[in-house]
Amino acid sequence: MRGAALLLAALVALAGCAQRPRDAAAATLVFKHAKILGPLDPIPGLLREFERRNPGVTVRSEPLTWTSDEQHQFYVINLDGATPAFDVLMLDLIWVPEFAQAGWLLDLSPWVPRGELAPHFPAAAAASVWNDRVWGLPWNMNVGVLYYRADLLAKYGLTPPRTWDDLVEQAQRIRAGERDPRLDGVLWQGKQYEGLVVNVLEHFWANGTSLIDERDTVLPEPARAAAALRFMRRLIASGVSPSRVTASDEEMSRRSFGDGRAVFLRSWPYAMDLFEAPDSPVRGRVGVAPLPSHPDGEAGLGATGGFHLAVNRRTRHAEAAVALVRFLASAEGQRAITAAGVALYPTRVDLYRDPVAIKAHPYMPRFHDLALRARPRPVRPYYLMFSTTVQPEFSAALVGLKTPEEALGDARRQLEYMLSAIR
Amino acid sequence: MTARQRADRLTGLAFVSPALLALTVLTVYPGLWVLWLSLQQRIPIFGIARFAGVEHYAFLAGDPRFWTALRVTLGFTIISVGLELGLGLAVALALQRQRLGRRLALSLLLLTWALPSVVTAKLFQWLYEPSAGLVNVVLGGSEINWLGDPDLALPALIFADVWRTMPFVALLCYARLLTIPPEVYEAARVDGAGRAATLRWVTLPLLRSILLIALLFRTLDALRAFDLMFVLTGGGPAGMTETLTVYAYRSLFQTLQLGFGAAIGCVIFALVMLVAWAYLRALRPEGAAA
Repeated sequence: MRGAALLLAALVALAGCAQRPRDAAAATLVFKHAKILGPLDPIPGLLREFERRNPGVTVRSEPLTWTSDEQHQFYVINLDGATPAFDVLMLDLIWVPEFAQAGWLLDLSPWVPRGELAPHFPAAAAASVWNDRVWGLPWNMNVGVLYYRADLLAKYGLTPPRTWDDLVEQAQRIRAGERDPRLDGVLWQGKQYEGLVVNVLEHFWANGTSLIDERDTVLPEPARAAAALRFMRRLIASGVSPSRVTASDEEMSRRSFGDGRAVFLRSWPYAMDLFEAPDSPVRGRVGVAPLPSHPDGEAGLGATGGFHLAVNRRTRHAEAAVALVRFLASAEGQRAITAAGVALYPTRVDLYRDPVAIKAHPYMPRFHDLALRARPRPVRPYYLMFSTTVQPEFSAALVGLKTPEEALGDARRQLEYMLSAIR
Repeated sequence: MTARQRADRLTGLAFVSPALLALTVLTVYPGLWVLWLSLQQRIPIFGIARFAGVEHYAFLAGDPRFWTALRVTLGFTIISVGLELGLGLAVALALQRQRLGRRLALSLLLLTWALPSVVTAKLFQWLYEPSAGLVNVVLGGSEINWLGDPDLALPALIFADVWRTMPFVALLCYARLLTIPPEVYEAARVDGAGRAATLRWVTLPLLRSILLIALLFRTLDALRAFDLMFVLTGGGPAGMTETLTVYAYRSLFQTLQLGFGAAIGCVIFALVMLVAWAYLRALRPEGAAA
C-alpha cells in the first residue's frame, strides 16, 4: 500500500516534469542504443510511455550490435560525419568525456541543473561531467564486486576476506580441504582487452595508487603499481588463479564460477541474477562482498561500468531529445530496469531501497553499499587511448613476459609520448 | 600512327574509361587521401590537425609494438598460407581418387569455407576453452591455455585459419584437376611413369598456375588478417597475436589517431603491393607461354 502511494507520488512529480517541453510537438526522435540482453527488454515500454506523455513525438528505437568496440566505431564514424540521423544515444560511460571533447554531444547543462545528478551514485554521476558541464545522464551501472561461495566459506568457518592475502590463504585452505582438482581459487578477467584494465585498476586502487592522478601524472606511485601487478602475476604463478585467466573475459569467468568451479570471482552485479537462476548449480550458495585490499590501500573500491544517455549535437529536436533522456534517467525510467527479468542495475540510489525492486532482485540492498564506494575509471577524453596502450603491457606482466617494472616502464613511456602529442 | 590507328585507340580509351573512372573514384582517390592523412597529425577529439611530415613513420621505425605486429603478421602469413597450400593440395588429390562420398566431402569443405569468419572465431573460442573445450577434452583433459599462453596463442590462431581456408585451396585445385584430360595420364602411364613421377612431372606442373593464384589470394588475405585475432585474443596475450591490421584498427577507430592509423594502413598497403607485384611477376612467364 505504501509502495503504491510512493509510486503515485513519483508519477505525479514526473508528470509535472514531463509536461514542460511544449515545442517538442511533432518530432520523430531516433534513439540508438545497445541491444539489451536478457529475457526482458525494458526499452520499448518506456518509449511508448514517453510518446503517450508527449503527444506528437514519436521515438524510433534502433539497436546497435552488442560488442562495445562496434558501437564505439559506429558512433565515431557517424558523429564525426556530423550526422543528424539519430538524436539520442546510449553510450558506455567511458566515452562521455571523449565524445564531449570532440564536440559531438549536446551540452545538457542548460536543461539539467547539477542537482539533478545528486540522486545518482557519485561514481556514475562523475562520469557525466566533463569540463564542468553535464554531457549525459546515467542510465544503468555496474560495479566490480567479489563473489564467493558462501557454502564453502561457512564449511571452513571463514568470513569473506578483507585483504587479498586473506583471500589467497582462504582459497588455498579450501582447495586443500576439498581435494577437488577442478576447483579453482579466484577467477577474474585477464584477457588483453578493456576488462583487463578494469581489473588492474582495481588492484591499483586497492593498493592506494592509480593509473593517472588529478594533475595528469602518469603512474604517480610506480612502486605501489608494480606491487599490485606482481600480486596479480603471483595469483597465476602460484595456481590460486588458473592460467586460463590470461584469456578469460567476463562471460568465461562467470560461467566457470557458475558451474561451481571456483571459490571466488571478481565480476559485475549482472552475474548474481544468473547465479540465482532456477537451473544454476550454485543457486543459493553465492555471497557478494567488497573487493579486498592490498597493504597500502583500502578495500571495496570497485570500478564502475554502465551506460549513459546523451544527445547528438546535430539533433534537429533538441527539446524533445533532452526530454527523452531525462525521462529515461528519471526514477520512473530507471524503475523499469529493476523489473524481474532485466539484468541491469539502476544508477539511482533510492531504487536500491525500493520494495518492488528488492522483490525482483533480493540482493539489491547489498549492491547499494558496494556501488556507493565505486570509482569511475579515469574520466578523461583520452581514456580509450590510454587503455588500449596499456593493455598489451599489463598482459605481458601477467603472462610473465615482462617484469611488472618493465611493463609499467614501457607503458609510461608510451603514455607520456601520447600525452605530449595532445597537450 | 595512322588515322585509323588513332581512331581505334580513342575508341579503346572510351571503352575503358568507365572502368578507369570507377577505379579512380573508388580506389585511387581514397588511397591518395589515406597517404595524405598519414602525413598529418589528426586527432579530431582534441581538434588537432597539423602537417606532420614523416613523423608517424619515424615513430613506427622505433615502435616495438609495430615491429611485433609486423613479425606476427609475417609469421602468421607464411605459416598459415604454407599449410593451407600443402593441405589443400593433398585434399584435392585425395578427392580426385575418392569414389565414395565425394559429394559429401565437397559439401563439407564448402560449408567450412562458407561460414562467416566471425562465426568461425566464436566456434574456436568454444573449442579452445581451456576447461571444457573440445580440443582439450580430445587431448586427454589437460587444461592447456590455448589463447592465453604467449607461445600457444598464435599457433592456435593459425590452426583456426588453416581449418577455415584450406577448403578454398582444395576446391580450386580440385576444379583444375577435373579439367586435366585423362589422355595425359594415359600417356604418362604408357611412358612408364609411376605414381610419384606422374605427380611430379604431370599433375604439379599443370596445377602450377592455379596454385600461384591461390597463393596470391591467400597471402593477400593473410597479410590483412583481422577477425580471428580480434575476436579470439584481442591481439593478446602481451600483443603476441596483434597483426598490423589490428594495430591499425585500434589506432583508427578506438583511439582515433587518424594520421597515425593511416600511416600503419599505408605500411600494410605497401607490404601487400610488394607481395602482389612479386607474385604477378612469377605468374607472368607461364601466362605468356600459354
